[in-house]
Amino acid sequence: MENLLHTVVLMLEGTQVTLEIFFITLLLALPIGLLASLARLSRFRPLSLLMEFYIWLMRGTPLMLQLLFVYFALPMIGVMLPDIAAALLAFTLNYAAYFAEIFRAGIQSIPKGQYEAAKTLGMTYPTTMRRIILPQVIRIVLPPVSNETINLVKDTSLIYILAMNDLLRVARTIVQREFDMTPFVVAAVFYLAMTFILTWLFKKLEAHYGKYET
Amino acid sequence: MGNTRPDSNVMLRMTDIRKSFSGNEVLKGIDIEVRKGELLAIIGPSGSGKSTLLRCVNMLETIDDGSISIEGEFLADKGVYATGDKARRILGCTGMVFQQFNLFPHMTVMENLLEAPMQVKGMKRKEIQPLAEELLAKVGLSDRADYYPSQLSGGQQQRVAIARALAMKPDIMLFDEPTSALDPELTGEVLKTMRELAEEHMTMVVVTHEMAFAREAASKVIFMADGNIVEQGKPEEFFEHPREERTKAFLRNML
Ligand SMILES: Nc1ncnc2c1ncn2[C@@H]1O[C@H](COP(=O)(O)OP(=O)(O)OP(=O)(O)O)[C@@H](O)[C@H]1O
Ligand SMILES: [Mg+2]
Repeated sequence: MENLLHTVVLMLEGTQVTLEIFFITLLLALPIGLLASLARLSRFRPLSLLMEFYIWLMRGTPLMLQLLFVYFALPMIGVMLPDIAAALLAFTLNYAAYFAEIFRAGIQSIPKGQYEAAKTLGMTYPTTMRRIILPQVIRIVLPPVSNETINLVKDTSLIYILAMNDLLRVARTIVQREFDMTPFVVAAVFYLAMTFILTWLFKKLEAHYGKYET
Repeated sequence: MGNTRPDSNVMLRMTDIRKSFSGNEVLKGIDIEVRKGELLAIIGPSGSGKSTLLRCVNMLETIDDGSISIEGEFLADKGVYATGDKARRILGCTGMVFQQFNLFPHMTVMENLLEAPMQVKGMKRKEIQPLAEELLAKVGLSDRADYYPSQLSGGQQQRVAIARALAMKPDIMLFDEPTSALDPELTGEVLKTMRELAEEHMTMVVVTHEMAFAREAASKVIFMADGNIVEQGKPEEFFEHPREERTKAFLRNML
């Protein structure tokens, strides 16, 4: 029992790194993904083509490769980033691309009549998006966003390859040193707990935004 | 054309309206004039350009050529649209009711009515609520203020849509087949609401397939085909003594 407590305390540092990557990535990738989806839908061709390329690049290559690229290639061209910033950059760019596609599909599923009704009532484009379109989009995208968020919890373990002391690396260090599998179990419990909490939270959100039927 | 004498009784004037969709001309020089308090009914076969004409009035479509003036102000002058505040002010005079209702599904009936006055005119909730309640009473839905659109019948939804447009206090109401998406037994309640509006001298342009309604409620009927006005007149003479062969054939089919 004491041994377990000891292990958990040792693993707290790793937990903190993992949580940091998770929350900051989510906080940045959601709004950036939204802006990217609006840019992707823009009638200004160069902008929408640029976004299409960005999304294609991010979804078409492994996140692991993107992490390695940011971590090793950027310093070669003189861009020095702290480890955590490099990891956040790669995660954010990657997840923003996935969110952008989710939001784009959501926005496009809103019938044209909603825009027309808003327009004939005198609403401007920003007001229409903010008050009419996006609240309906949220309801539609919650399930896929929930999926991606849970993927992110697990993807944070990829920073293992960057020699950062995330939950998984700390666990492995202890396992190797003490020949005790408990840290892996603790890590599993942590990931499961995160996933459980997120699932619960998204269920609440879906209930909140699902008050009406379409 | 452009030098129309200002006639304070004209609400909407469209002159020589032309509109093509990628080379396909769907409005071939349409002239209409709607005076204050009139109800203009537009009828005609599918694809004749009725919706397009109506949608040009509030810029859901843009004309290629011609002029549109509302209450004497040019929204479009020889194919060139007003912009900015002027356009917004002129468009603010119009309200529109769609075939598919287009209510905001994530808002209650009351919120649907309050939304535009609050967001567009910057009114406070308590300033607009009395009018909203009055309008709901008028369309007979006071007891449905807190319902979501999906909880209402089609006829009720369309009446909410009418109230929502009226909450912006338009001077002219445009209706694009307001009863075509409804089950036959629900069209009556919507037409009744529209008749009441007409009796209050609201200026209305109504695209419709409801011949009985056009005959009873319209001040003037226009029959369109292939992007042209084929015939127009007061409802009695239009329906009793149509002159054009196409009109006769169309009316025969409608009965
Ligand atoms: N956005 C568009 N792009 C291309 N063509 C269009 C568009 N909107 C309408 N049209 C064409 O313009 C013509 C007139 O269409 P419109 O919808 O105005 O007819 P309508 O008289 O309202 O017919 P209905 O009774 O079926 O509603 C049709 O041939 C239609 O295919
Ligand atoms: Mg039509």
